[in-house]
Amino acid sequence: MVVLRAGLCPGLTEEMIQVLRANSVRTVVDFVSSDLEDVSQKCSLSYKALVAVRRVLLAQFSAFPANGADLYEELKSSTAILPTGSPSLDQLLDSGLYTGEVTELMGAPGSGKTQVCLSIAASVSLGLKQHVLFLDSTGGFTASRLYQMLQAQAEDEEEQAVGDTALSQLEALQRIQVARVFDVYEMLSALQEVRDRLSQQAVSCTGPLKTVVIDSVSAVIHPLLGGRQSEGLAIMMQLARELKMLAKEFSLAVVPTGMQVELDIGNSDVQEPSPATPTEGL
Amino acid sequence: MGDALRRAESGTQLLARLEGRSSLKNLEPCLFAEEGSPVHGDVIEFHGPEGTGKTEMLYHLVARCIIPKSGGGLEVEVMFIDTDYHFDVLRLVTILEHRLVQSTEEMIKQCLGRLFLVNCSSSTQLLLTLYSLENMFCTHPSLCLLIVDSISAFYWIDRSNGGESLNLQEMNLKKCANFLEKLVREHHLALFATTQTIMQKSTSSAESFFPLKLQHEFDTDYRPYLCKSWQQMVTHRIFFSKQFNSGNSKGFTVVSCHLKKNNVVKRSFSIKMSFLYSAKSVLHS
Repeated sequence: MVVLRAGLCPGLTEEMIQVLRANSVRTVVDFVSSDLEDVSQKCSLSYKALVAVRRVLLAQFSAFPANGADLYEELKSSTAILPTGSPSLDQLLDSGLYTGEVTELMGAPGSGKTQVCLSIAASVSLGLKQHVLFLDSTGGFTASRLYQMLQAQAEDEEEQAVGDTALSQLEALQRIQVARVFDVYEMLSALQEVRDRLSQQAVSCTGPLKTVVIDSVSAVIHPLLGGRQSEGLAIMMQLARELKMLAKEFSLAVVPTGMQVELDIGNSDVQEPSPATPTEGL
Repeated sequence: MGDALRRAESGTQLLARLEGRSSLKNLEPCLFAEEGSPVHGDVIEFHGPEGTGKTEMLYHLVARCIIPKSGGGLEVEVMFIDTDYHFDVLRLVTILEHRLVQSTEEMIKQCLGRLFLVNCSSSTQLLLTLYSLENMFCTHPSLCLLIVDSISAFYWIDRSNGGESLNLQEMNLKKCANFLEKLVREHHLALFATTQTIMQKSTSSAESFFPLKLQHEFDTDYRPYLCKSWQQMVTHRIFFSKQFNSGNSKGFTVVSCHLKKNNVVKRSFSIKMSFLYSAKSVLHS
C-alpha cells in the first residue's frame, strides 16, 4: 500500500495531496482506480495534470509486459547449466542445474541433502570457478568435509600439476561464501543483501555469483507453522517468492533443501499445506 | 460537457471495438462441457492441487493460440500474467517445436512474438498492472486471451496483511476481480485463471463452514476460499486431478463444469514423456 506523498512523482505537489486526501484518495491504488473526471471536479484540479500523474504512477508501480520472442532470446544467452558434481544426478536433472530456476532437494533427515549441497558448491567453485553463496540454517556445513570433496573432485581432473592443486583448492574454498542464518528473518535479509549486491552490479571481490544453496529452508519455516494463525504460511510464501524472484531476475541457480511434512490441525476445518507447496510448478 | 467527455473514445478504441476479436470457439473443444466454448466474456477457472497439469494445459492453449493459421493454430495474441514466477519459456518452445511442421528458429520467434508475459510480485502490483494493461488491449485487437497463473498466489500473504478484518484481507483480490470483469466485458476477451487447492475438507465429521454449492456426481474436494466477487464471475470451473494408473503413463483427469447451465463432463489427458526432458536440446539448438 503505497501512500501518496509529495515528490513521489513529478507533478504531485503537496497541495494536490492535501486536496486529494480531503476527498479520501490516500494511496496510489485509490488514485489509479478512481474516476479522474469526478476527482478533477470535486477537487478542482486540472484533469490533464491528473491524467499525467496517473500515467507516471502506473509506469512506476506496475509491471511491464515483455514479448515472448525477446524473452526467449534473453534466456538463450543467459541460461547456463551447472554440473552438480555427481554424473548420475546430472543425468537426472537433464544435464545439471539450470540457472533461472529453483531446484528443490527434498528428503528425510539423513538422506544426503547436505552432502549434495556441498558437492554442488564444490563442483561449481572448482570446476566453473564461479562464486557460490551457501546459506546454512542447520549448522551442518563443515569446511573440512567440503575440502575433502574438493580434493576428490580435483583428483578426477588430471590436467593440473601436483603443486597447483592445493592452491586451486584453496581458491575454490575462497569462492564459497557461507552465511549462518538461524531464523527466517535473518534468511530474508541475507537474500535481500544478495539482491542489493547483484542489482548494483558492483565489481567486488566476490565476483560473479551464479549459485545460491540454502540448507535448509524447512528448518527456519517449521517453527512458524501450526496453529490457526496464517502468518507462518504468509512468511513461507514470501520466502518462496523471494527465492523464485532471485532465480528469475538475476539468472541464478537456487537450490533450497527441505523436508516434506503434512500438518493436520486437530479438529479445525483447514488442513495446512505442506512446505512443499510454495515451490510447486518447478 | 461531462457526458461528451465520457462518451468520446479515441480512434484506436473505436477500431478495437468495431473490428471485433477473433473467435476462440475451436480453442480446445475437449476441455469444455458444451460445444461452442469458450466465447468472449467467459471466465474459466482451472482448479487443482500442484502437479496436476494446470500450467501444462495453459501451455497447450497458448501454443494453440500463437501458432499461425497455416500451422493449424488460431493466430491470436495472448497476454500471460504470471504471479508465481514459474513460466517456463523453454518448455513452451519445446511444445511449439513438436507442434509445428517446420520448426525453424524464425517460425518459433514469430509465434513467440504473439505472446506477452508479465510478472507480478504482489496483489497491489497485480491490480496496478491490470490498469496499465488496459491500454494494450485497446491497441492490440488480436489480443483476445488473458491468462492469470495463478490468481490464488497471494492468498496467504493478503490474509496475513489484512489482519483480523476479512474485508481488508480480500480487498485487493476483490478489486482485481472487479477490474478483470470490466476488462473481459469491454474488450471481449476470454480469461483463464488457475487456482491452487490449498484447503481440503477435514476428514473428521466436523461441520463444514462452507457448504458446497455445486451439486454434481463427481466428488471433488472443492472448498471455495477466494472472495465472492471472484466466485461470481467464473463461468466454467475445471477440476484437475492425477489419475492413478498402473504403469508409467502420466495421466490426468479433468472434470469440466459449466456453472450456469450445470453441465458436467469428465475427460482425461496425458503428457508425452518425451516432452518433459528436452529443455537442454532447445538450448543447444
